Amino acid sequence: MHERPSRLGQPNLGLGVGLRSAHFSYILQQQPQVDWFEVISENFMNSGGRPRYVLDQIAERYPVVMHGVSLSIGSSDPLDFDYLARLKRLADAVGARWLSDHLCWTGVLGLNTHDLLPLPLNERSLRHVVERVRVVQEVLERPLVLENPSSYVTFADSTMPEWEFMARMANDADCGLLLDVNNVYVSSVNHEFDPVEYVNRLPHERVVQCHLAGHTDCGTHRIDTHDSEVIDPVWELYRRASRLSGGVSTLLEWDAKIPPFPVLHAEVLKARNYLGDAVAPTTRATPAAPIESQEAAVFHPLAHTVVEVTD
Amino acid sequence: MSKHELAKIQAWMQHVIMHPGGVQAGIEADEAREQIDVAPEAVEQVIAPSSRQTSVERLAVYANAYQARLLECLRAEYPITLKAMGEELFDQFAIGYLERYPSQSYTLDHLGAQFATYLAETRPADDDADWAWLDFLVDLARLEWNIAEVFDGPGAEREPPLDTSQLLAIGPERWPEARLVAVPCLRVIRLDFPVHEYYRALRKADEATPPERGETWLAITRRNYVVRHLPLVPLEAALLDSILGGATVGDALDRMELPADLDPQAFAGTLRGWFERWSAEGFFLRVELPQ
Repeated sequence: MHERPSRLGQPNLGLGVGLRSAHFSYILQQQPQVDWFEVISENFMNSGGRPRYVLDQIAERYPVVMHGVSLSIGSSDPLDFDYLARLKRLADAVGARWLSDHLCWTGVLGLNTHDLLPLPLNERSLRHVVERVRVVQEVLERPLVLENPSSYVTFADSTMPEWEFMARMANDADCGLLLDVNNVYVSSVNHEFDPVEYVNRLPHERVVQCHLAGHTDCGTHRIDTHDSEVIDPVWELYRRASRLSGGVSTLLEWDAKIPPFPVLHAEVLKARNYLGDAVAPTTRATPAAPIESQEAAVFHPLAHTVVEVTD
Repeated sequence: MSKHELAKIQAWMQHVIMHPGGVQAGIEADEAREQIDVAPEAVEQVIAPSSRQTSVERLAVYANAYQARLLECLRAEYPITLKAMGEELFDQFAIGYLERYPSQSYTLDHLGAQFATYLAETRPADDDADWAWLDFLVDLARLEWNIAEVFDGPGAEREPPLDTSQLLAIGPERWPEARLVAVPCLRVIRLDFPVHEYYRALRKADEATPPERGETWLAITRRNYVVRHLPLVPLEAALLDSILGGATVGDALDRMELPADLDPQAFAGTLRGWFERWSAEGFFLRVELPQ
């Protein structure tokens, strides 16, 4: 039997960080030794200004991967072919190594909640998603890589665990997986499942990329806030994921309370301690105490364009 | 076998989490019940509870995040309008705005596109009262949105602009038929208040004195990826606006409503001054002349 190559044949780009506008100037001026950058596709798809100019400069020096938040692959609304055309144009222009988005829906009835909403995990939605992934891959003329989202509800209509849905979707639609180990952890606490089993049961040869991030403990549940360091149990899931997948491109997301670039970069470089047989580091991130209020907790990438005006 | 169609579950959940009155009110609302007719106390039939959260509490995580995320986005899109209004008032308007104009775009960059329109729509029709403060805020929001669009819209940084000497090299007899091609980022806007001065002041300080009402024309453009705004006198704005609309210089001049007592020689000097200023500001890419 023909064996499928690791990472669906994609390269292991090493340890990268998510490009955020707060770091544009630093990156252009200092040209830090970062393996690669991931950009939020929607922040650049229509840009004719400085964001796009910065991306072009960065794409000349670093490998770039595009990560979307509005594909809405699980929505019952029709696919947006104008969006897909713009996505493809940008990917071609910046030489994106691959395109990813999330297993989710963002809106129906023509609206966008700008959230990554979960799907009922059953045969009917699996068929729906697989069909749409095939269409998207045909339009984009490249494999799509889909990420497991963090979620805060489960549906009475679900009939299978998320890892099974992800695995069957990837195999049936022949797409890649972006394994966000922080999301696995957050969802495992919220939905009371075993995160280790989740990571173990995925088709590892289809994992093209890993995401790392920090999250917020709200006491009764966790929220994927991308605003802090990665906690130990997430690093341990990462260690497992990298061993099982044979090592994949790894990226740290940090979207709120964004620290200076060197701090961000240092955080993703901690991943070296969890690759192969490396021993875990002696200094570790201490999980923050649960917060009382969830008011400030906004989850998933939320990046705005920062306007520059003459005085 | 799943009980509900995907489209129904999604429409139901969207109505519930976007409902301005919260999850409970959302579940009870007609729009949600048309999709899935379930009472709040029976919502476990749709959303499973966890051992620490009820189904309603779990849905509230999405409802809270929906509003928090989009409010944060609007605050970031309108930093000066936010400063002028104060957080509490801004949030009130923003929540009303999100209800009337929910996002229909794949990008958050379009979220605030109708905010000034919404503010204008909330203005009471009562003309006896003085609504100058609200009218002023509408203008301020319009200016901020125009600046944001120019910042990230198409520009001309990769092409050299027409310089003044190229412009002045055109023979006087050819001027009427000349068509000036503007940089794509240039636009002319009319406001009822000189909000640009207030905008400038509030970018540097926490407080500024709002200006008195006064017709204001601004050219907004971008150079080296930084937005610039220049006040124009009304005749200058009218001429530039016609040129931006594609008129030849001759046609644009013909369309101007010039005062009857205008001194033609003095006006020729004024015109020359405008064209020099515009080209010095990099407003044009090239001149097109018929063969």
